[in-house]
Amino acid sequence: MNTNFQGTAEYVASEQLMASVNIAIALKKPLLVKGEPGTGKTMLAEAVAKALGKKLIIWNIKSTTKAQEGLYVYDTIQRLYDGQFGEEGVDDIAKYIKLGKLGEAFDSDEQVVLLIDEIDKADLEFPNDLLWELDQMEFYINETKRTVKAKHRPIVIITSNAEKELPDAFLRRCIFHYIDFPSKEQMEEIVKVHFPEVEENLLKQAMDVFYNIRAIRDIRKKPSTSELIDWVNALQIGGIPTDKIRATLPFVGVVVKKDEDLEVVRQNAGQL
Amino acid sequence: MFTKFFLSLREKGLHVTMGEFLTLQEALDKGLCGSSLTQFYYVSRMILVKSETDYDKFDMAFEECFKAAQKETEVSAEMLRWLDKSDMMEMAHEEARDHLNKMEGEGQMIDKDDVEQKFKQRLKDQDSEHNGGSFWIGTMGKTSFGNMGGNVGGVRVGGKTGYQSAFAVIGARKYRDFRDDRVLDNRQFQMAFRKLRQFSSRLDVPESELDIDGTIDKTCNNGGCLQIVMKKPRKNAVKLLLLMDSGGTMIPYSSLLNDLFQAVHKSNHYKDVKTYYFHNCIYNKLYKTPECENGDWVDTEWVFRNIDSDYKVIIVGDAAMAPEELYSTTGNYRGPNGGLSGYEWLQLVKRHYKKVVWLNPKMAPGRAPWREAETAVKEIFPMYKLTVDGLNQAMVKLMVNK
Repeated sequence: MNTNFQGTAEYVASEQLMASVNIAIALKKPLLVKGEPGTGKTMLAEAVAKALGKKLIIWNIKSTTKAQEGLYVYDTIQRLYDGQFGEEGVDDIAKYIKLGKLGEAFDSDEQVVLLIDEIDKADLEFPNDLLWELDQMEFYINETKRTVKAKHRPIVIITSNAEKELPDAFLRRCIFHYIDFPSKEQMEEIVKVHFPEVEENLLKQAMDVFYNIRAIRDIRKKPSTSELIDWVNALQIGGIPTDKIRATLPFVGVVVKKDEDLEVVRQNAGQL
Repeated sequence: MFTKFFLSLREKGLHVTMGEFLTLQEALDKGLCGSSLTQFYYVSRMILVKSETDYDKFDMAFEECFKAAQKETEVSAEMLRWLDKSDMMEMAHEEARDHLNKMEGEGQMIDKDDVEQKFKQRLKDQDSEHNGGSFWIGTMGKTSFGNMGGNVGGVRVGGKTGYQSAFAVIGARKYRDFRDDRVLDNRQFQMAFRKLRQFSSRLDVPESELDIDGTIDKTCNNGGCLQIVMKKPRKNAVKLLLLMDSGGTMIPYSSLLNDLFQAVHKSNHYKDVKTYYFHNCIYNKLYKTPECENGDWVDTEWVFRNIDSDYKVIIVGDAAMAPEELYSTTGNYRGPNGGLSGYEWLQLVKRHYKKVVWLNPKMAPGRAPWREAETAVKEIFPMYKLTVDGLNQAMVKLMVNK
């Protein structure tokens, strides 16, 4: 099996990013990925899983997520309910212990890729609550006196949008990679991965306008890779003649989402 | 191995720990860096640095330690510091180009190789900071090197693109913009404002929240018959008075101020927020809108009377008044002065409110005697630069008692 991540046919990774993934695997540390929205942080885990032929387990973090949920949940209500109706096996607590995503990754019979997506969404203390588990790759279930230990250390990829500062103790244990916004050459490669048939001229015009919009100073939300991909798609489907792209900015709402930004783009239309 | 590198990183303010450094050793042991310096750079960065805001500091430390291994034309961090004079920009902007280009008679067409040759030579020889000269690498000069110069077509060294004419940018430190002492934007504001919290349940509001502990206690005492206990909600008691400069020199920062304004209003956990505007300096009128139109104002004394002293005051401005705007009793050309100078009005603000901070988007670092007004204002109010760091410090200052 392939143990070295080299990007995939669908995911264009920079050399540095590939190196970061491989080093995180070699050093057995979680890889923390930061970057502008739309630079493909979440996609990375999918690509790694695919390239290495491993199963991907995704743990989506929300503002209400607690660390405990990732380990296991003891479904007391179900047990109480079953108890009232005299169901079988109520005295077996293990039946009511449901492993969370992290538990699932530990308990898996083969090595998996675990994506902890948008860890910064959760409570400030959340990452600290996982320190031991990520370090030792084990946790203890109080109710059944059982220790769940990782059979194969999962490859852990953590993404963050930098909405909150992560605690130092947590950061110390990670390998960090910041995904830069792709350069024009990389971007071209990325778009072509999605649309191998795209017409050269259309792509060039669309990319020029896209990078010019990003360069306007007053733009609040800079359009990202995914927006460019949507735009190129829209332009292709709409069958817009390439010479009209710059002049009329068709479907510009796909690229720029805020009212104020649309206004700014229109004002600067002459320079795009 | 590389102990000097470790120490140098800590010296630059990066909190690299032993654990992380040992991880790097482990990576070296496993041969993950190969034998290339570039590879080593990336591996050590991904292990030791945990935020893109610190990349710049890391770059500097790395340069310091492995300078010898790098190419000769690398621009030293020290030289870039001499050239980092973004605040001279305004002065330079108008006059520099006309003035300097007039003086410079020599060739319009500049030979790229020649410039590069001289640049390398001078990089070797130069040992001090130069601004406005005509030979060394410096700011606002007319040699082909440095930044903000009037010369068309030379080598720009660091700084912001002035006239867009330099044909090469050497040593553009790519991650400088990520530093967290940079001027901040958008949602980082909101995060900082969250610091400004002072919970209090001694508010004159009805008891509208379920007190779970109380309810359990009462219910148990009641023999298991449910008895509900309510309590007053804990609310943030902080009240905020925001005074914003909307003078001409603040125009470059308008979108920044807009963000700040939005952030304050989105942080809807304050008990009350009042916002007024002023033009360059505070006099006896405060304007209700950022346009600062005549008549659309309230008396500053009215504000003193109606907005109590327990409001926390944030003044945002560049403190770049002309000395007469600050000290003369007729310094305000926009409206009446009330017989006091701007300086005296600022003193009144300080006397009336217990907690006042001044946020300045373009504060000079350290002492800046050439900015007379700024220095004077700094003596009255604690002044912080409008950056992530500065705002956080300011918020702490507003919260703690002395």
